[in-house]
Amino acid sequence: MLCVEHLSKSFGGVRATKDVSIDFPAGSLTAIIGPNGAGKTTFFNLVSGHVRPDEGRVLFDGTDIVGLSSLEVVRRGMARAFQVAALFPSLTVREALTSAVVSHRRGSGRVLSRFPVPDAVRRADAIMEMLGLGPKAGILSANLSHGDQKLLDIGLALAMDPKVLLLDEPTAGMGPEERWRMIGKVRDLWQATGMTVLFIEHDMDIVFRIAQAIHVLKYGAVLAQGNPDEIRRNQDVIDAYLGTDHRLSEAVGEA
Amino acid sequence: MRAGFVRDLAVALAGLGLLIALPVVFPQPALRDFLIYFFAYGLMAMSLNLLVGLTGLVSFGHAAYFASGAYAFGLLMQSGLVSIPVAALAAVGGTALIALVIGAICVRLKEIYFSFITLAFQMFIHSIIVTWVGLTGGDQGLRGGIPRPPVLGLDLNDARVLYGSCAVVFVVCILAMRQVSQSPFGYTLRMIRDNPARANFLGVDVTAMKLGIFVFAAAMASVGGLILALFVSGAYPEFAFWTTSGEAIFMIMLGGMKLFLGPLVGTLLLQTLNHFVTIYTEHHGLVLGTVILVIVLGLRRGLADFVYDAIQARRARRAAAPATAEPAAQTFEAAPLNGRTV
Amino acid sequence: MNLEALVDCLSSASCAVTQVSTGLIVGMLLFLVTSGLSLIFGVLGIINFTHGAFYMLGAYLAFTAYALTGSFLVAMVAGAAGVGLFGVLFERLVMSRVYGRDILMQLLVCYAMILILDDGVKILYGGEYRMMGMPDVFALPPVEIAGGFVPGYYLFMVGVAFAAGLVLWLGINRTRLGKIVRALAINPQMVGALGINTTLLYAGVFGLGSLLAGLAGALAAPIRTLTPGMGVSILIESFIVTVIGGMGSIAGAFLAALLIGFTRAFGAIGFPLFVDGLMFALMALVLVVKPSGLLGREAA
Repeated sequence: MLCVEHLSKSFGGVRATKDVSIDFPAGSLTAIIGPNGAGKTTFFNLVSGHVRPDEGRVLFDGTDIVGLSSLEVVRRGMARAFQVAALFPSLTVREALTSAVVSHRRGSGRVLSRFPVPDAVRRADAIMEMLGLGPKAGILSANLSHGDQKLLDIGLALAMDPKVLLLDEPTAGMGPEERWRMIGKVRDLWQATGMTVLFIEHDMDIVFRIAQAIHVLKYGAVLAQGNPDEIRRNQDVIDAYLGTDHRLSEAVGEA
Repeated sequence: MRAGFVRDLAVALAGLGLLIALPVVFPQPALRDFLIYFFAYGLMAMSLNLLVGLTGLVSFGHAAYFASGAYAFGLLMQSGLVSIPVAALAAVGGTALIALVIGAICVRLKEIYFSFITLAFQMFIHSIIVTWVGLTGGDQGLRGGIPRPPVLGLDLNDARVLYGSCAVVFVVCILAMRQVSQSPFGYTLRMIRDNPARANFLGVDVTAMKLGIFVFAAAMASVGGLILALFVSGAYPEFAFWTTSGEAIFMIMLGGMKLFLGPLVGTLLLQTLNHFVTIYTEHHGLVLGTVILVIVLGLRRGLADFVYDAIQARRARRAAAPATAEPAAQTFEAAPLNGRTV
Repeated sequence: MNLEALVDCLSSASCAVTQVSTGLIVGMLLFLVTSGLSLIFGVLGIINFTHGAFYMLGAYLAFTAYALTGSFLVAMVAGAAGVGLFGVLFERLVMSRVYGRDILMQLLVCYAMILILDDGVKILYGGEYRMMGMPDVFALPPVEIAGGFVPGYYLFMVGVAFAAGLVLWLGINRTRLGKIVRALAINPQMVGALGINTTLLYAGVFGLGSLLAGLAGALAAPIRTLTPGMGVSILIESFIVTVIGGMGSIAGAFLAALLIGFTRAFGAIGFPLFVDGLMFALMALVLVVKPSGLLGREAA
C-alpha cells in the first residue's frame, strides 16, 4: 500500500531523515517509535507531501507521489492527524466533520445548496458515532477537552475515507488511562475499516500491545524494524532506547 | 436547503417590504437619498465582510471594485449602445475579471502582505482613473450625466421608481451573499479562516476557494458602485480612493463581523455620523479619525457583536448543562478565537 | 507615449545626467521611507500604514521650523526628530494597544491616524499647496556634470540619504544594540527573559522607523510642493519598493528604490501616462515570479 524507498531530507546542515526504506503492507497497523528528535514527524511530513524529500521515493498504491502537493496526496487517499490537534476553533464538531466530508466529496465549491448537506451530515454523524463524539456534536471545537480535540482531529482525517492514515502521537498530552482509551479507539477503528494505519507513539507498553510491526528511528535513520517480540529482543534498541529508562522519552513535545 | 433558504427568503421579503414602505410613510426625499447611499455602501461593506469576516482575508482595496462597477456602468450607459440591465451585467462581469487578475496575484500572500498589496492595486486603479482623463474625466469625475432609459416600462427618472428598483437589487444581492455564506462553499471558507493549513490537509484547494470568494465579493461591491453611479448620475475618483476602503473596513468593525448583517448596522451608523459631521464641521477627517480611535481602542468590538456575544453566552450556558462541561484544552485558550461571521 | 524623446534623452549626456540625478533623489527619498517601513515590519511584524502621513508630517515640520528660524539644519532636525518622537508617542498610546489583535484593528487605527494628521495639517496650513523654498545655504550655481546641471542640493540629499542608510545598516548588523533588535524580531520572549526592556525597544524601533520617514519628508520639503495627503502616493510607492526589494531587506529596498526612481525619472520623458502602470507591472511580476522579492529572505 505504502512503500518508502531511500528517503532522505536535510534541513540546513542537519540530516533529519537518512536513507529510510520501509514497506507498509495494506491493512497493517504500524508504530513508528524513537527518541525525541529522531525524525518521526519529519518522516510523516515527507510521506504526506508537506515537505519534499531530497532523495528517495514514496510509493503509494504503486505510484511515486514525491513532488505532489499535500493536497493531491490527500485526494489520493492519505490523511493525517497532528501531534497538536489541528482544528477549526469556530466550527462545532458536527460542522467541522461535515465540512471535511463535503471537501472529500469535492463539494467545497458548491454555492447553490445549503450547509449542512444531509448526506454529508450522515457520514459526519457516523464518524462521530465511531469515535464516541456523538454527545459533543454541537460544541465548538475550541471548547472541547484535550482528548476530544485529539479525537476530532482523527475524525477529520477519517472524513477523507483514507486508505492510509497517519497519526502523529494520538495519545500526546494524555494521562495513562486516557491513553489506553484513545489507543483502544484507534485499534477499533483500524479493525473496523481495514485501513493501513501508521502511528507515532512514545508509550512502549501501548506500542508493544497493539502494533503489528514497529519501526525504530534514531537520528533520522531506521535503527531496527520487526514485530513487537523482535523489537523487544533487539540489542540495538535495548541499548539505544529501552536499556536506559524506557519511559524516559514519554514526555510530549518532540520538535 | 429548502428550510434555511425559505426562511432567508422570507426575511428578505420582509426587509424589502420595510424598505419600500419607509419612504411611503416618511415621504421626505432626503430619506430616500439616504437609503440609496445606504444600499450602495451597504453592499460594499457586506461584500467586504465575505472576505474579512468569513474568510479571514483583510482586504484594504475593496473600493477598487466599487469604483470599477460605477465607472464601467457609467461609461457603458454614456455610450448609449446598451440598456441598463446589459450595462449592469457587463459592469459586474468586467469587475469580476479585474478581480480575477488582481486576486490571482494577491490571495496567495500572507495576512498583512495581502492587505497592503490589495491597497496598492486599488491605488493603481485610482491612478488610472485620474490619469486617463479622456475616458474618465480624471479628477472631475465622469460627468455629463448617466442616461436612464426605461427598463421593462419602468421610468427610472421617477425618483420613487429608482428607489424601488435599487431596493430590489440591494435585497437580491444581500440574499445572494447570505446563500453563499450558508452554502458548503461558505463553510469551506470558515475552515480556511480558522486553519488554512488544516483545510489544505483535508483536500480543500485553499487558493482556488480564496480566489472564488475574492471575485464574488468584488462583483457584489461593483453592484453597490453602479447603484451609486446610477443615483448620482456620475462617478468620481473618490470611489476608488483608499479612504473609501478605509470607511468600508470601519463599517464592518463598527457593526460587527460576527452577525451576517452586522456590516449593515455599521453602514447605517457611519452614514448617520457622516451626515451630522458634515453639517456641523468641515473637519470631517479629524472627527471621524477620533471616533475610530475611540471605538477601536475603547469598545474593541462592533455593536452587533455585543448582541451576538450575549446570545452565544446564553446558548453556551444552556448547552453546558446537559453535556457536562469539560475544561477547554490549553492550546486553544491561549490562541485568540478567530471566530467571525457565523 | 513618446519613446523618441526618451531615446534622445538617453543619447544626450546632459539630459541623461539630469534625469539620473532626478531618479537618484526620488529613489533616495523612497529608500528612506521604505527602510523605515521595513524596519518596523521586520521587528514589530506590523505594517505602519501611517508611514506616508509621517513623511508628510516631516515635510511640514521642516517647513515650519525653517519659516521660524531660517535655519536649514534646524528644519532637518525638527522634521526628523519631531516625527521620530511622534512615532514613539503613537506606538505607546495607540499601536501598542492593538498588538496581537486582529489585523483589522491595526489597519483601522492607522487609517484613523492618517485622517487626523491629514486634517490637522489642513487646519494648520490650509488645503492649498505650500512651498518651503530652497534654503540660502544651497543657493549655489548647479554643479555641471558631463554637460548636465545638477543642483547642489540634490547631491547633498543623496549624500544624506545614503549616509542614513549606511548608518542604519551598520547599526543593525554591526552593533550590540542591532543584535538585540534582530533577536527581538525573532524571539521577543527570549529577549525579555534576558532582562531587556522590550517595551522600550519596540517604541524605539517604531520611533526610529518614523524618524526615517520624517527625515525623508524634511529632505523633500525644499524641492516638493507640500499638500495635506501628500503621503499617500509615497506610501504606495514604498509598498511597491518593499515588494520588489523583498520584505525586511535594506539592500533590497535600496536597489528597488533606485529602480523605481529611475523608472519615474525616465518614464516621465518617454511614457508619462504609463509610469504608474509600469511600476505596478513590475510589482505584479515580482509577486508572481518571486514573491519574496529580489533580495527577500522569507517567502511571503
